[in-house]
Amino acid sequence: MATESKLAPIRKGLLEFLVLKIVGVSSVYVPDILRRLAGTEFATQEGTLYPLLSKLRREELVLYEWQESDAGPPRKYYRLTDAGRAQLAALDEYWNQINRTIADIGH
Amino acid sequence: MKRISVTVSLNRSTLQFDDAAYARLDRYLAESASLLEGDPDPQEILGDLEQAVADQCTRRLQPDQAVVTLAELEPALEEIGSVQVPGAAAASGSAARESTRPLQQISEGAVVSGVCLGLARYFGLNVTALRIFAVLLLLLSGGGVIVVYIALMLLFPYAPLQRGGQPLGWLPARSRAFIEYVRVKFHLATN
Repeated sequence: MATESKLAPIRKGLLEFLVLKIVGVSSVYVPDILRRLAGTEFATQEGTLYPLLSKLRREELVLYEWQESDAGPPRKYYRLTDAGRAQLAALDEYWNQINRTIADIGH
Repeated sequence: MKRISVTVSLNRSTLQFDDAAYARLDRYLAESASLLEGDPDPQEILGDLEQAVADQCTRRLQPDQAVVTLAELEPALEEIGSVQVPGAAAASGSAARESTRPLQQISEGAVVSGVCLGLARYFGLNVTALRIFAVLLLLLSGGGVIVVYIALMLLFPYAPLQRGGQPLGWLPARSRAFIEYVRVKFHLATN
């Protein structure tokens, strides 16, 4: 579908924003993030998420700490750094602004 | 005598795999590693993926089952999905990205190591014309081009292999293995 090929890059570009939002709510590990996105337009997979989180960690927007789990090995729990929080606020603001522009420009 | 299972250490977990599942896992991890070429921190991501495989397979094992087979591994890999590098253009790769690619050698469809292919794509040349030119140069230079070619093999990073791309030819695969060996041996970092 022609529309789909135009929508896919938009979703792809927004995934990082959504991941920052989810990590911003509470400290989460990857299956939590996957569950949160499952059933939305942004449903994704570990193969996508781990490289993205690694990039965000390198950019010092998120950090993780190990937490013991009742079953299996310890898990990586991700949370936002101060820089991550600042970037999320900026993205939120920008997103609202874009939405206003899109709503206004057609009239 | 038949080997029943292989013990595999996956990040922080240890699991038993049968031979077929082990081979499949090995292939998945090798593909992931090659997709992560150029990522500054591939080890971390590969470790995370290993752990994801271990968790997914453990979840799928029956209570009395000790060995992971393809029946558990395939759906696990399906759920994990192949590696998507953030920021990379969506799937087929847009034309814009095509033109901003760095100089690379391209193993897929290469004759020797993919240097001509990489140069042709970078400069927008016809690869066949460039190869003919290279062979002419080889004849004229009395072999000097070979030295240049090997130098370029060492200098150019490899383009990441495409998912589901064509298998590598014998010579490109050997060239690639050789260069990777030399790079590790002499600590030559590219990418």
